[in-house]
Amino acid sequence: MKRMMIAVAAGALAMNGAAASAGDINVGSAAGVTGPIAELVVDIVAARNLAASHVNEQGGLLDGDTYRLVQGDSQCDPKAAVDAGAKLVNVEQAVAVIGPNCSGATNGMAQSVTIPAGVVMISDTATAPSISDLDDNDLVFRVAPSDAYQGRSLAELAWENGYRKLAVTYSNDDYNSGLAGVFAAAFTELGGTITGNEAHEPNKASYRAELATLAAGEAEGLALFAYFGGSGITILRNSLENALFGKFLGADGMMDNSVIEQIGADNLRGNIMLSQPASDTENASYQAFAAAFENAGAPFVAHGYDIAFLAALAIEKAGSADRGMISAALREVANAPGTVIRPGEWAKAKEAIAAGEDINYEGASGAIEFDESGDVAGVYSLNGVGDDGTWTPIQ
Amino acid sequence: MEQLYGIFLYGVFLLTMGGIYAVLTLGLNIQWGFTGLFNAGVAGFFAIGAYTTAIVTSAGSERHLGGFGLSPAAGMVAAMIASAIIAWGVGRICIRLRADYLAIATLGIAEIFRLVLKNEVWATNGPRGISLIPKPFEHYAEPWNHVGMLLLVFAVVAVLYVLLERARRSPWGRVMAAIRENEAAARAAGKNVERLRIEAFVLGGALMGLGGALMAHHIKFIEPNAAEPISATFLVWVMLVVGGSANNRGAIFGAILIWTIWSAAEILIARLPPEWAVKSAYLRIFLVGLALQFILQRYPNGIFRERRFRTAPSSPDREQPP
Repeated sequence: MKRMMIAVAAGALAMNGAAASAGDINVGSAAGVTGPIAELVVDIVAARNLAASHVNEQGGLLDGDTYRLVQGDSQCDPKAAVDAGAKLVNVEQAVAVIGPNCSGATNGMAQSVTIPAGVVMISDTATAPSISDLDDNDLVFRVAPSDAYQGRSLAELAWENGYRKLAVTYSNDDYNSGLAGVFAAAFTELGGTITGNEAHEPNKASYRAELATLAAGEAEGLALFAYFGGSGITILRNSLENALFGKFLGADGMMDNSVIEQIGADNLRGNIMLSQPASDTENASYQAFAAAFENAGAPFVAHGYDIAFLAALAIEKAGSADRGMISAALREVANAPGTVIRPGEWAKAKEAIAAGEDINYEGASGAIEFDESGDVAGVYSLNGVGDDGTWTPIQ
Repeated sequence: MEQLYGIFLYGVFLLTMGGIYAVLTLGLNIQWGFTGLFNAGVAGFFAIGAYTTAIVTSAGSERHLGGFGLSPAAGMVAAMIASAIIAWGVGRICIRLRADYLAIATLGIAEIFRLVLKNEVWATNGPRGISLIPKPFEHYAEPWNHVGMLLLVFAVVAVLYVLLERARRSPWGRVMAAIRENEAAARAAGKNVERLRIEAFVLGGALMGLGGALMAHHIKFIEPNAAEPISATFLVWVMLVVGGSANNRGAIFGAILIWTIWSAAEILIARLPPEWAVKSAYLRIFLVGLALQFILQRYPNGIFRERRFRTAPSSPDREQPP
């Protein structure tokens, strides 16, 4: 017993000794590395780390300090997120926190850790409208638009493309349920009919029963809100195999090349439309990012890069690794006007800041202009399967 | 200096969370440790407690039922009452099942609760959860806000410990041990076994509800993901088994020890190079398994063993019944 206590104490001491070395500036990188969206998070974390290596390769932060992202596992669970946040903010002395993934984890970590500690948090994936309501002293930001924007935008695009009767199914998680709710309300408001609106649990082997019920409403297509790996691909396959639905609408949670690989480009061409932030793909910022990152089109990956890059810009702008100055600096570097900085252009940004110029980061995920509650507006485009068998913008 | 202050604050968070888990573990100890009821549905009672307090204490919102604006203390009492009532209902149905069948039934019931809470969107805001739950002492300046919460949790654990130790030594506690060891003998001695088992189940369920309520106030937010079995049922079981079931001190010690291993392991893992960090997150689960193996090999009955009653007057044991 005594020996074990000593071992625990020794372990604790060893950990303290290993804390940040001189010349490092720590920023917490909270991500749902384990848990329900682990497969999406792998690429998001890789994109965040890419931003950090861009910063470090091009001169580092301030006086050549290393920009160090310390990972915490928020597990998509608010309990775990609070625990991870307490470590990042207190033990790692993070100047700011990027992440976490999932709205629930963001809500818990913001309210019980980062807001009381006065630390800025920038999330790449939290989309729940309730995050705008937090009494956050201007400390909580996000680059993923609240679902209110995407659901409404997709409904309008569906209406313009001639859909009048749609069935809706959504994966019963915080992201997709919120989107589906806004979509259904907006589509009905436009004059459309929702023939059925059913939640489904992700990761089931088959959705034939749910789809057969929805197909009985004789809708023109299925609005499918899901992550591609959780249930999206299975639902597409079940629908096509059983001839239950032939046309599909969806959001960026479905936007992955594995969807085309597994279902087949010929089966999907002309039959599926997915919404995605509009400035993507043709925008110079997105292309700069896509040139540096292999799986750039995967959900929220561009957002992951942007928050890591923005946190670095804000520290550089603030001129010191001081928690209290990050929030105001973040708004200045993200919002227009100013010299436009695109992904990867750290040396240019560093020079401009040193010269006292105002800068304006145009991110891979969009222009990123924070409003009063720290949210960004969303503008969306529709994508389909192009002739080359990849996701291509339709309008 | 700042570094030390940070480590102090993290220690406060760590012990707060460990203390909340200790409340859950004490609840499970009444059911499994004292009475031998294999409840694999801790997460269900945890969720009911957490949602009850969230609904009665959070500010009004059109997204979910609420706006009653009661104090956290009232929320915790309501959480205990709600969990106790539900535990009574579950107990009436399942309590006659033998150990492993009871485990399957409670596991299923906990999942039902979680799915109901996830799908009754009008009351719970479904998968998006309930936000802006008040936290005791949150308006105090740092570090007193966090320290206040820690002291509250410790006070709850201390009060429960004293009460449960009294209960354990009382005739009621001895009947529970008798039921666990030899149900037929207890029945033959004229004890109403079903009723007593339900009593233990309800009392344990109420404590789990209290644990859920404390967690909801601590993290100021509750959603169905927070009541996943892995972190709300199985982790509690590991804590009790490691600490030593049927020993209240063991339950508290196990909760804090396992939570410390679970949480602090990440500080080590964060030292690994970034390209390993994603994969190594799974190491924590492995580490808890390893700790469980190691501790149970060394201490087969948990770190704190059960203190048995002896009635022979020659026994030197201090634990003589009054």
